Amino acid sequence: MTSKKILAAELAILLGAFATAMAQAQHDAAANPAPAASATSQQLTAEATPPEPTPKDATTPPKSSSSGARLSAADELSMRLEGEKRFRANCGRCHVAPPKFPPRAMATILRHMRVRATITDQDQKLILHYMTE
Amino acid sequence: MSRVTRLGRVSNYLIFAGLIFFLGAFGARSLFAQTPVVATATTESSSSGGSSAEPQDLDSDDIKPIPVLQISAAFDGVFGGGQTQIHPLIAPVLLVPIGDRWLFEARGGFESDLTEQTGIPGFHAPFQKELDYAQLDFIANRYMTVTVGRFLTPFGIFNERLYPVWIRDLQSDPLILPIGVGPSNASTGAMVRGGFNATSQININYAVYYSTLSTVSSVDSSRFAGWRAGIYVPKARLELGGSFQHLLQDDHSNLFGFHAVWQPLALPLDIRAETARSSVGSGYYVESDYMLRQVPFAESVMRHTQIAARMQEFYTGAIVDNSILPANTKLFEFGVNYYFRDGLRAVSSYGRQFSPLGNANQWTIGLTYRVVVPLGHGGLGE
Repeated sequence: MTSKKILAAELAILLGAFATAMAQAQHDAAANPAPAASATSQQLTAEATPPEPTPKDATTPPKSSSSGARLSAADELSMRLEGEKRFRANCGRCHVAPPKFPPRAMATILRHMRVRATITDQDQKLILHYMTE
Repeated sequence: MSRVTRLGRVSNYLIFAGLIFFLGAFGARSLFAQTPVVATATTESSSSGGSSAEPQDLDSDDIKPIPVLQISAAFDGVFGGGQTQIHPLIAPVLLVPIGDRWLFEARGGFESDLTEQTGIPGFHAPFQKELDYAQLDFIANRYMTVTVGRFLTPFGIFNERLYPVWIRDLQSDPLILPIGVGPSNASTGAMVRGGFNATSQININYAVYYSTLSTVSSVDSSRFAGWRAGIYVPKARLELGGSFQHLLQDDHSNLFGFHAVWQPLALPLDIRAETARSSVGSGYYVESDYMLRQVPFAESVMRHTQIAARMQEFYTGAIVDNSILPANTKLFEFGVNYYFRDGLRAVSSYGRQFSPLGNANQWTIGLTYRVVVPLGHGGLGE
């Protein structure tokens, strides 16, 4: 009886979450042909948590550093949006959005979170980019 | 066929299934890897109106990490069942990056469960100190990190991801937490883990570990081996995963776990669920946490307010274990948290426990605090 209850709970959670999430994803994909920009702006309005990191003006050019010069302003903006998207998808799974810390401290925290939360190499880089801009 | 033999076979099948899973995942990844991995990011970015720039080009690569000290603290009062407990806790976390690929990380715990004792005025309890983890991580490549030392046992997700007081939304531990994590919630040994893109829509994360027996009181651990694997769909913000562990001591039994995390895009809502099954007990919990920022009145207050609810059941197993509840238990909890600012939060909850040993109410009220201290110059520091 105990095992049956647990199994039933597992199955209900699995099927319910999966079906709803898939329906949501399909609905979003159909409604928003350009999901990055719209999802990000939606999240910015809908998910403004109290410790919201302050995104810079999207029109601000990338800061001029030796390596930063490799990216055009459009690429920089796009990377920042992608980084923000991944920040919300990964960090928000466990805790509310943290504020931005000094860049070198942020690099350490991201390395820690790569191990702790098994986020991918790409996610680490893009989130760090977003959090240090 | 004896039960032990059957369990042994089941264990072998599961270990084999785990190996097949990882080999399959790496095999699938190698197929996709014919296009460089950055192409995946580029494709994702491009398909979502993104950029053609590669993550490797980011100037964030030039940022040299510095040691960081994080201190979290909590002060809870728990009232119920005719008893009052005061629970102060301080948990410092030290992160020391070494070079480009290494990280040493450690967390300690200093706490006390102060209670009233007969004949002595005031609250008293022994002071407890523990080394939660002290591990050295080597990021071998983008798919794999090797960890040695004392680490949090990756069975389920609560112990690794949600345990810190400043992260958890309800301050009590889930009833199934002691299952699979070993004494002190930690392992002593080695672990291989990582996360990678299996396709442009799916991330896979995994951890394979071995722990040896340690009987030293503040760093004790059991002897076992196991794995945890999960699939994350970023677009749907859905993660599903499972855990398996085989005890290499005592009854040599197998433990199973399952977890799911879902965050609907349209709502500031988190739904988490975990189950665990073992010879000492089984159970599940389902928790949902909702930020009230969409409530259309008292917005300045509501956007800082979170409500949380958790339903859980626990069933005793065939083997008695002192760290596990002695009777079947159901527990429903409801909590309200208020974020003053990042890191400082007021927490409160009410729980009702149903058990053959007696039903009880449980009220919790407290504060949690977290501060991050960079141990060095925090700028870009070329």
